[in-house]
Amino acid sequence: MPLLEVRNLHKHYPGVAALQGVDFSGDAGEIHAIVGANGAGKSTLMNLISGVTAPTGGEILLDGAPVRLTSPLAAQAAGVATVYQEFSLVPQLSVARNIFLGREPRGAFGLVDEARLNADAAQLLLRFNIGLDPRIEVSGLSVAEQQLVEIVRALSFKARILILDEPTAVLSLSEQDNLFAIMRQLRGEGMLILYVSHRLEEVLAIADRVTVMRDGSKVGTRPIADLSMDSLVHMMIGESRRSTPQRSAVPADAPCFDIDYTTADGTQAITVQRGEILGLAGLVGAGRTTFARALVGAGGRTAATRITVNGTALNNRTPEAAMRGGVVYLTEDRKRDGIFAGIDIIGNATAAALPLLGRLGLRNRGSEREKSQSILHRLRLVAASLDTPIGKLSGGNQQKVVLGRALMMAPKLLVIDEPTRGVDVGAKAEIHDLLRELAMQGTAMIVISSEIDELLGLAHRIVVMSDRRFVARMPVEAASEAAILTAAAGGTMTNEETA
Amino acid sequence: MTAAATFPRKGVALAGASRHAIFFVLAAVYLVGLAVSPAFAEPNYLFNVLRQIAPVGIAAVGVTLVMILGGVDLSVGAVISLTAVLAASVMAGNPGNIAPAILVACAAGLGIGLLNGVIAAFSRVSPFILTLGMGVAVMGLTQMFTGGTAKGIVSPGFREFFNFRVGGLVPVLALALLLLAGIGLFIEKATTFGRQLFLVGTNRAAAILSGLPVRGVTIAAYALSGLFGALAGIALLARSGVSSTVAGQGLEFQVLAAVVLGGTTFVGGRGGIAGTVAGTLVLVIAFNLVNIAGLPHQMQLIVMGGIIILASALYGRISERVG
Repeated sequence: MPLLEVRNLHKHYPGVAALQGVDFSGDAGEIHAIVGANGAGKSTLMNLISGVTAPTGGEILLDGAPVRLTSPLAAQAAGVATVYQEFSLVPQLSVARNIFLGREPRGAFGLVDEARLNADAAQLLLRFNIGLDPRIEVSGLSVAEQQLVEIVRALSFKARILILDEPTAVLSLSEQDNLFAIMRQLRGEGMLILYVSHRLEEVLAIADRVTVMRDGSKVGTRPIADLSMDSLVHMMIGESRRSTPQRSAVPADAPCFDIDYTTADGTQAITVQRGEILGLAGLVGAGRTTFARALVGAGGRTAATRITVNGTALNNRTPEAAMRGGVVYLTEDRKRDGIFAGIDIIGNATAAALPLLGRLGLRNRGSEREKSQSILHRLRLVAASLDTPIGKLSGGNQQKVVLGRALMMAPKLLVIDEPTRGVDVGAKAEIHDLLRELAMQGTAMIVISSEIDELLGLAHRIVVMSDRRFVARMPVEAASEAAILTAAAGGTMTNEETA
Repeated sequence: MTAAATFPRKGVALAGASRHAIFFVLAAVYLVGLAVSPAFAEPNYLFNVLRQIAPVGIAAVGVTLVMILGGVDLSVGAVISLTAVLAASVMAGNPGNIAPAILVACAAGLGIGLLNGVIAAFSRVSPFILTLGMGVAVMGLTQMFTGGTAKGIVSPGFREFFNFRVGGLVPVLALALLLLAGIGLFIEKATTFGRQLFLVGTNRAAAILSGLPVRGVTIAAYALSGLFGALAGIALLARSGVSSTVAGQGLEFQVLAAVVLGGTTFVGGRGGIAGTVAGTLVLVIAFNLVNIAGLPHQMQLIVMGGIIILASALYGRISERVG
């Protein structure tokens, strides 16, 4: 009898079926990897098993008996422990305190029995050969060490099932080996480890079985011996789909933006031509956004770019300077640094262009409204009134307004991070049309997207990033979902450097 | 364009209510005053009240600009003290020195404001701590300059001019307050800079990424606050004629109370100078009511503290619901 079994599991959100009838089982003493592209339903499945959300249909069985995991606490009590990508430790407390947070052994007067706490923690750490002093503060630990503390805490609940969500994303190679050793030890002790990862090489190295998800359904479960990198990628993407949208030809003699990207790892070069849409693919954490922000001087201290246009260097030390040079970046996180939530549509659309619309430091409200109207009309914005606060609009309309703000500055190089995240299907198509139109008018563009379909449909050329490096470049005609995914997952490159 | 999705009516209505709440409060407080004392029906008394609050009102205009940006200026009390003493010293009892005195005072206020602005723009110091520290330093500077006693003599004609009643009724000082509030209102509503204040105050990160001159706007806002502080110092000197080293001490709290009461929150991106003027009036009427009620003068401090807390809490609640 499997330790964990889920039957016909469904999860519907309003308008979306995140999970559509998934059957799945895992045995004691197994490392079971769950893989799939972004949005395949991996996280949803894990959230249901760890009690974060409740299924809308189907059942979960432990040792053959149906259980209702109504909260993370209930799941914990049933023996399911989860280590998330974002850590949940309290940085100011010691390792031991964090491990036993909320369950500290009590001594006289109900005070925490520090000696016993530290001894218990030391014993747990020793069991997994983790050389950490239980008394030191968590804030002083490396990310990898914090992760280990997190795992030990999860295990201290006498868990039988351990869920690890992208555990190696933050680890160096040796730290990763260390983690794998601990995982194998736990497997030897009869634990079921559910291992969610984008990194297919690692999956092939550590897992006993792999379950592949796609579009909210299970594609299949295979023992590792039956799998290769190629067959795994093939399972993940299914029959290759390819739309053939209209695409303008890039003029051969067009001026281009030569970009040198410098990080701690060295300097890499990349080029974008006038009228070209460059698609930037990669997994979450590959460093695409850091690169994109660095293009406008907002990448932080560790990343810098040097942009030359036809041989002339462009000042891009701040977003303000970059904008004067014609380089504009649109954020992937509208709420954080895209929209001015309490301010109306006009104010949001004209935020950057105010000095251009007015004269001598004075506003011209008439031209602010007129310009907003014309540009938002072109974007097919639907709103009752331009005086509505932008925070009340749908994601798609917010994105259009933010895009309109950029267009008012007539950018020469437009960098768009996840142009259609949180945007409904209709607005998505409209935004795609607009980007193509801009390219035809000569704007150079870098489009970042986690949706490979989006890149294949928009871009002239695809560059794949992995681990802060541009690892593959391919014209879109030669690109495929498989090639991109393989490169992004750090696998062998299927395409020669062509750019 | 087709009709849009429905917007939550309640939120919009509340936002409108919060924007205008202070004017209802002003009307209510005035009616209370009218009921308590017939003086509130006399124009003479009302203009006196305006004259009385002119220094606080003028400084509040500048501080409002900074607070829309999401900052705050606690150094304004010290700036008032310094500029009042400075102006009196330059005057030295000579009517020919009035214009230079005003220029010197304004330059000093502007300089301190600029320093505040540059530090606020280029460092990560909290504006509370920054301007508190600046206020203490300016206070020390004033003490050093004066040697700890009153210094300088107000020129003849200076006080007479500002306290002259136009048409036998309206003191020039009250007109100065209205004029400066009008200028502040113009900056807020009609200039690119005024709009940028609201944008930066609403979402600083978005403002930076959208290419707004966030540093320039920050520096200009604090500089203006320093300049309005200096004008308030001159107004105080004109009202009292006394150039003691601590003339403006504690005034920053009256200023803050007026601004917060007017609906400009510490969060930034909200409020405006019209509200601040109304807030200033509510504050001074409340002070006068304390006096009329025969309560000790110190009660004013308690009223003021209560107002700052209550107004902040109320506006916080409203904006929370509006989102």
